[in-house]
Amino acid sequence: MSEYPEGSPPPAEFTPSAVRPAIPPQNSSEHSVNRLGYRSWSGRLEPMWMRWMVIAAVGVRRAWGSSWLKRMLFLAWLPAVWFSVGFFVWEQAALYPDWHGPAEMLMRSLPPNPVYDEIRDSVDRGDFQTSRHMVWAWMLQSLFRYPQSVLMVLIVGMVAPPLISQDIRSRAFLIYFSRPLSRGEYVLGKLASLWTFLTIVSTAPALVLYVLGVLLSPNLDVIAATWDLPFRILVASMVLMLPTSMLALCLSSLTTETRYASFAWFVIWILGWFTFIAASTATALNSPVVRESRRSFRQARYAMEESSWTHLSLYHTLGRVQSWVFGFAEFQDVLVPVVILTAITLISLLVLLRRISAPMQV
Amino acid sequence: MPALIELQEITKDYGSFRALDGVSLKIESGVTGLLGPNGAGKTTLIKVLLGLVKTTSGQGRLLNFELGKQAHEIRSHVGYMPEDDCFLHGMSGVESVQFVAQLSLFNPVEALRRAHEILDFCGLAQERYRPVETYSTGMRQKMRFAQAIVHDPPVLILDEPTSGLDPEERQVMLNRIRLLARDQGKAVLICTHILPDVQSISDSVVILARGRVQVANRLSELSRPAVPALEIRLLGEPARFLEALRSRGIPCEERSKGTLLLHGDPTELAAVIWKLAAETGVGIRSLTPSRNSLEEIFLNAVRGEQHDV
Repeated sequence: MSEYPEGSPPPAEFTPSAVRPAIPPQNSSEHSVNRLGYRSWSGRLEPMWMRWMVIAAVGVRRAWGSSWLKRMLFLAWLPAVWFSVGFFVWEQAALYPDWHGPAEMLMRSLPPNPVYDEIRDSVDRGDFQTSRHMVWAWMLQSLFRYPQSVLMVLIVGMVAPPLISQDIRSRAFLIYFSRPLSRGEYVLGKLASLWTFLTIVSTAPALVLYVLGVLLSPNLDVIAATWDLPFRILVASMVLMLPTSMLALCLSSLTTETRYASFAWFVIWILGWFTFIAASTATALNSPVVRESRRSFRQARYAMEESSWTHLSLYHTLGRVQSWVFGFAEFQDVLVPVVILTAITLISLLVLLRRISAPMQV
Repeated sequence: MPALIELQEITKDYGSFRALDGVSLKIESGVTGLLGPNGAGKTTLIKVLLGLVKTTSGQGRLLNFELGKQAHEIRSHVGYMPEDDCFLHGMSGVESVQFVAQLSLFNPVEALRRAHEILDFCGLAQERYRPVETYSTGMRQKMRFAQAIVHDPPVLILDEPTSGLDPEERQVMLNRIRLLARDQGKAVLICTHILPDVQSISDSVVILARGRVQVANRLSELSRPAVPALEIRLLGEPARFLEALRSRGIPCEERSKGTLLLHGDPTELAAVIWKLAAETGVGIRSLTPSRNSLEEIFLNAVRGEQHDV
């Protein structure tokens, strides 16, 4: 039963405001319960090195909102599933001679490799122990060089372009840098956003593959034989991430329009790739041995992957350095690609820092 | 009273253009209005204080932290509300304020709690859950104010805090600033073109022009006229009243119809005037000691008349 007549407004003593202190309203849309006024704050602050992590977390959260990115990340693990079948077949072949046939098929399906003949000989001898390290490294390098590099280009192309260009467009620099935040922390935070996704598509699948290989192998002695591979995976990830993320952020910092940064990013990769293919194919076709057979043309084309034409393509330059990381090339052979990637990293960083400072200087 | 901000001969050149030219200042607690025409160097001065630009020469301190060398410490203790329409893309109002609190090293949960508390204070109600891109100018202004004060800084630098606000909101914003300065003891530096705002809440005024400090003093001092005077507004015909004043030898000038300015000590004049009004049958609508308006002070300063440096 109501305490006041039905249909009439409640008397003042029943209204919530009657029991609240009489604070003059600042705004009619505010609720009384929120009218606490200003209260000073005291409490414990987080460590100073956390600032870049705040920027990274926000970058990841904003990118994660894209359903396309989620699909791409899911897709990025499919090649790892395929390579896990490779690890399984190889380890089965090591245990059961019946699996030698599938193991050979596996090797033929992998991209060409300078140690192919060596592996083939040891397989023929039934010596899987000796060739295990080479085959694992070969599969991991193939994972990095082919599917994951392409997926990296796509994912960075989705995540990186808005990271800085939107901050320039919305003039958010004043919000960042009126706080105790250095340019280095800002850049590190943005890079960390990118690295999070790149780790998910490159480092994590490769490490999972390695662990899978260990679990499938006949005994744990395999760890002693392949202990260096996880470290090579980490170095290969760095080779993949550092120049590419720096270049992507540099492009993002050069414009206020996200689409221009995306366009420039994809143009660099696609144009480089096509230029290399065109140049290397033309060279291969002019090779006198090529005219003899289709197979020799293929070999000549693969030989081109180690040629100086690769310097035109960022994709192939990265691939050559990764070959060295996994032990399939000598350092002197990849000196120029290493210099190119280092130069890209440093120049991009310098441009990036300069672009970040620029809005403050006017 | 110790100076919170102390600058000595600060000069800042952008190429051949001198934005600040030997600026020396002492700013104490309370509300200080930083005034100046466009291009006077106000924004450059703020950037120098925050350590966002390096000075060409000169030195200074803010809260005992050395400008330029201890920029991080200064920014930890200063809340800055920029004039520019800047925001964090893709975030809601509450997320933006939480983010800024986290940059000031609040943990995420406490940052969110504090963000809500401050947005309540700033009068941003349910709109706080909307993306910032959809905000009106007034809402963005409130959000930027919330971002400036979320970490409870002892010094606030507010660049055009009331621009884009309707008259009611403008008054509320000024009340908030007044409350922070008087009840919370914060030092507030307000940079604005709206002189009545400065007049209504400022304790001191700094006027910059052509990169130089033209005026820096307490508003009460600046408002005091060079010669003491009394301003009276009459009701009725002033002719007889004026005649009576002249017969008593009181110097006066008629400013407008019914408004007179009498020169002399306001206390002594007041006693005489009431008598004369009674004798001449004139009503007195108001009687106030004459003060310089901020507009006059400002115009004199930017025209090159140096009051007090």
